[in-house]
Amino acid sequence: MILITKNLRKEVPSGETNLVILDDINFSLEEGKSLAITGPSGSGKSTLLGLLAGLDTATSGEILLDGIKINLLNEEERAILRKDKVGFVFQSFELLPSLTALENVMLPSELKSENDPQQRGEYFLDRVGLTDRKNHYPNQLSGGEQQRVAIARAFACSAKILFADEPTGNLDPRNGKLVSDLLFEVNSETDNALVIVTHDQDLASQCDKKIELKLGKIVD
Amino acid sequence: MLATLSIKLFIREIRSGYLTSMLLSLVLAVTIVSGISLFTDRLEKVLSSETKEFLGGDLKFESNEDAIKDSLKILNLDKSKTSEMAVFASVIFSEEEMQLSSIKAVDNSYPLIGELELQNKSGTYKTKQNPDQGTLWIDERLKNLLSLEYGDNIYLGDATFVLAASIIYEPDRGSTNFAFAPKTIMNISDLAATNIIQPGSRVEYNYLFTGSEEEISLIRETLEENKNQGDDIESLSSDSSALGRTIDRSENFFLLGGLIAVLLSACTIGISSQRFARRHISYVAILKTLGMNQFQIRGLYLLLFFYTTLLTLFLGLSFGWVLQSNFISLMDSYFPTELPPPSFYPLLITCLTVLICQFGFIYPHISKLLDISPMRVLKNDITFNQNTLPIFIMGLFAFLFLLYVYTNQIALSLIIFTGVIFFSFIGIGSIYLLLGKKKLGLGAQDAVSLALSELRRRKLSNSFQIFAFTVAIGLSLITFSASKNLLGSWQDSIPDNSPNNFAINITKEDKDSMELFLYEKEIEINLFYPVANAQILRKNNEENIIDRNFNITWLEDLPEQNEVVKGIWFQNDTKNGISISDEISERYDLNLNDEVIIQMEDGSLETYIQSIRAVDWESFSPNFFVIGHPSLFEERSSTYITSFYIPKSKQKVAAELMREFRTVSVFSVEELIKQVRDIVNQVTKALNSILLLTCLSALFLAFSALQDGFDQRRHQSAILRTLGATGKLVKTSSLIEFSILGVVSGLLGSMIAHTGVYFIETKVFQTIPGFYPEIWVMGPIIGIVIVSGLCLYLVNGLMKQSPKELLSQ
Repeated sequence: MILITKNLRKEVPSGETNLVILDDINFSLEEGKSLAITGPSGSGKSTLLGLLAGLDTATSGEILLDGIKINLLNEEERAILRKDKVGFVFQSFELLPSLTALENVMLPSELKSENDPQQRGEYFLDRVGLTDRKNHYPNQLSGGEQQRVAIARAFACSAKILFADEPTGNLDPRNGKLVSDLLFEVNSETDNALVIVTHDQDLASQCDKKIELKLGKIVD
Repeated sequence: MLATLSIKLFIREIRSGYLTSMLLSLVLAVTIVSGISLFTDRLEKVLSSETKEFLGGDLKFESNEDAIKDSLKILNLDKSKTSEMAVFASVIFSEEEMQLSSIKAVDNSYPLIGELELQNKSGTYKTKQNPDQGTLWIDERLKNLLSLEYGDNIYLGDATFVLAASIIYEPDRGSTNFAFAPKTIMNISDLAATNIIQPGSRVEYNYLFTGSEEEISLIRETLEENKNQGDDIESLSSDSSALGRTIDRSENFFLLGGLIAVLLSACTIGISSQRFARRHISYVAILKTLGMNQFQIRGLYLLLFFYTTLLTLFLGLSFGWVLQSNFISLMDSYFPTELPPPSFYPLLITCLTVLICQFGFIYPHISKLLDISPMRVLKNDITFNQNTLPIFIMGLFAFLFLLYVYTNQIALSLIIFTGVIFFSFIGIGSIYLLLGKKKLGLGAQDAVSLALSELRRRKLSNSFQIFAFTVAIGLSLITFSASKNLLGSWQDSIPDNSPNNFAINITKEDKDSMELFLYEKEIEINLFYPVANAQILRKNNEENIIDRNFNITWLEDLPEQNEVVKGIWFQNDTKNGISISDEISERYDLNLNDEVIIQMEDGSLETYIQSIRAVDWESFSPNFFVIGHPSLFEERSSTYITSFYIPKSKQKVAAELMREFRTVSVFSVEELIKQVRDIVNQVTKALNSILLLTCLSALFLAFSALQDGFDQRRHQSAILRTLGATGKLVKTSSLIEFSILGVVSGLLGSMIAHTGVYFIETKVFQTIPGFYPEIWVMGPIIGIVIVSGLCLYLVNGLMKQSPKELLSQ
């Protein structure tokens, strides 16, 4: 199993009491498989994704990512884990505005001190069909193009698991379809596991597995 | 509707804390400006009245002859506005004793300003009249030396007088050149009966004037036209007493500190406004989408800043009042009466400062904000037009305008302004050249590559930061150096054991026994300077007598607190001449190598002007206008002058010395030294608070500049950490990057400080400029410590938040 959660719970302080965002989350995901997390707004989907990817910490419970209990790691150790095993695609792309498309894609390889980040970056940019836009800055690209750069960056990580938070949420249907197809296509080539948070039932239906959240709990 | 909305917006902004740094900077600026200007305004008022009293009038004319009377008649002056006095030195006698005294013969208008405090049998009393004919007033010390009682006879020249009172206080105490001896005041009508004043006698005629500014300026013009060489005109602005200069210098420092603190605050306000505008992009876009027009939005923000101004003025003026009250309370023991209330000037300058800050540093950002397209609501990436040059130029103009408002000197303002710009551009240019073109990638492999890559990528924003840090470090160093230099020069001029007594009229015969006397009393013996009275004549124009007598001394070594500014000091292998002070050189147009005849009691000699010296007249040691080489004067008759320190425990020594050596006059400067020391101590406390406020402003500026940079880095840091960059990598690279910026800014700040200190020393304090190696060490160190320290604080703040939290902000 690449990902296992046990009795996961997340609370945040709200006034004098604590607000429960997630409760009793239990599921697992096999290597190379895909999982869709769906649910209405405010159901805790993005919070769950943040916990699974080690971007945030759970109040209680356990998360095993590639056999490592990430709830026991501190932020520095989680950062190393993210660098080695995790890739991300965000709804709002989260590209660095001061870097070109190519430089954004090179970033994970640079962080890993890999030999030729440029070659690797160019390969993945080519894979998402943006070779001719490699020297453009994010503000010179359309939303769809920016998300394709973000996908190239996520796959350039050589991650074992890729987390995508509403990857088509900011795109029109045509671009949304293009991006989701690309996501599954490239993922099938890399044998990564894929966890997608989405409202889009079509996108969710393409995944091997699906869980639905409602008021912070998994609905059976 | 607009008013309600603006009040809501104002309250929301205050509550959110986003206005805090702008508000704090404005309040700090107003506090400093109002505090300092209120204080200096009140100080100037009291000093003006004190100086007036010290001088004895609004204007004083000094002459060695009473020939000016005719010119004054033309003016048809009202007698009540003029006072005439003759001042000279003479020996006065009691039945048993005699003493040299400084005699002041005054007319019925005396004193023109203030009143005398006297003592007679009935006790102390104040008067605004001159002594009655046939009576004298003398110093208490002289009364004791002559063993006199009130009503006793005193003999002066051929006349006999009655001692009517002893002098406790006289208003024009600083007005004569004969003030070294104990004072006697007589009625000028009695002068003829004494038969003391004969042709060739050394007498100084003083004419004092009071009146309206126009009248005084008319009198001044007439005197300037009719004055002879050697005549001197003194006015209120030329108070050259040690105390006057001390206060004058500290006042200059207060104003300088104020200016620097305001400039620093202004830069902070500029940066805070930029942040404010950036944060309000969406707000303005939404207001536009909801139908608000440009005029209404402008009105909304103008109202917002009107409230900010009101709050700032209220808080700043209140704190400013507290600040000046503290300064006043530090110094109130010096001032005999309560300080006068301030004029409107401080309020005016404070409001003008706020106005310049508003229009130069805040309004341009708001104006740019109004240009934002309502499309921003739909497209989040729409932002300002990136061209910030006009805003920067507007800020620079405001910076220059502030400089002019505070210095009132366009040349000095341009020098400071150009200096700051020049050095900042040098630094920014060198950063551009050193770092070269940006390379592909972010360089996230390691901290050093990442830091260098960031420096290359953020050249523009780094340039603004370097500018801000350089201004902060440079101006703080200027304040620090100026205060250190100022305090240093004061402390140097009054060392702990500086002589507190002077002895004059020491004959050759008394010199050795007096040295022995002092040695036996364990009083440290200083140099005995030979002194002779002489006239200097130009050799080629003997008619053109320099109408003044000088006390000449002769010695081989250049005295301390003297600096040769032209020519060379006496040397063994040359034919040596005389050295004159730069004042004498200027006043009588005497130049290097001019040939002169020195006429003394026992003959004359020919020589030349070998050097011109700058003399520190504030030092409490004997100083001379003219110094000759001993080879010229060895055989001449002279008396001696010396100074020595008598500790408190040996106060009786002075009286013993006067009894032992009857012809020697000893006078004490203990009170003056104490007064100057006291005031220096109090001023030091005030100076330190100014320094503290300036440093606080600099810290605000550095912090705002960093905070502004970190807003842009927050997002990058979140993405880097999401992609697996460790906190250590982000932290170390930021530290390296900002340490480099800190060192560069520190070096540039040192350059600015050194140049600034040079101009301040030569133009503001008018002292000899020095070289301060510590500036070059302190600049880069402060740069690294402060900039990287603040950076660490901000980075740690970022590290406390999870990447998810940062991304959601």
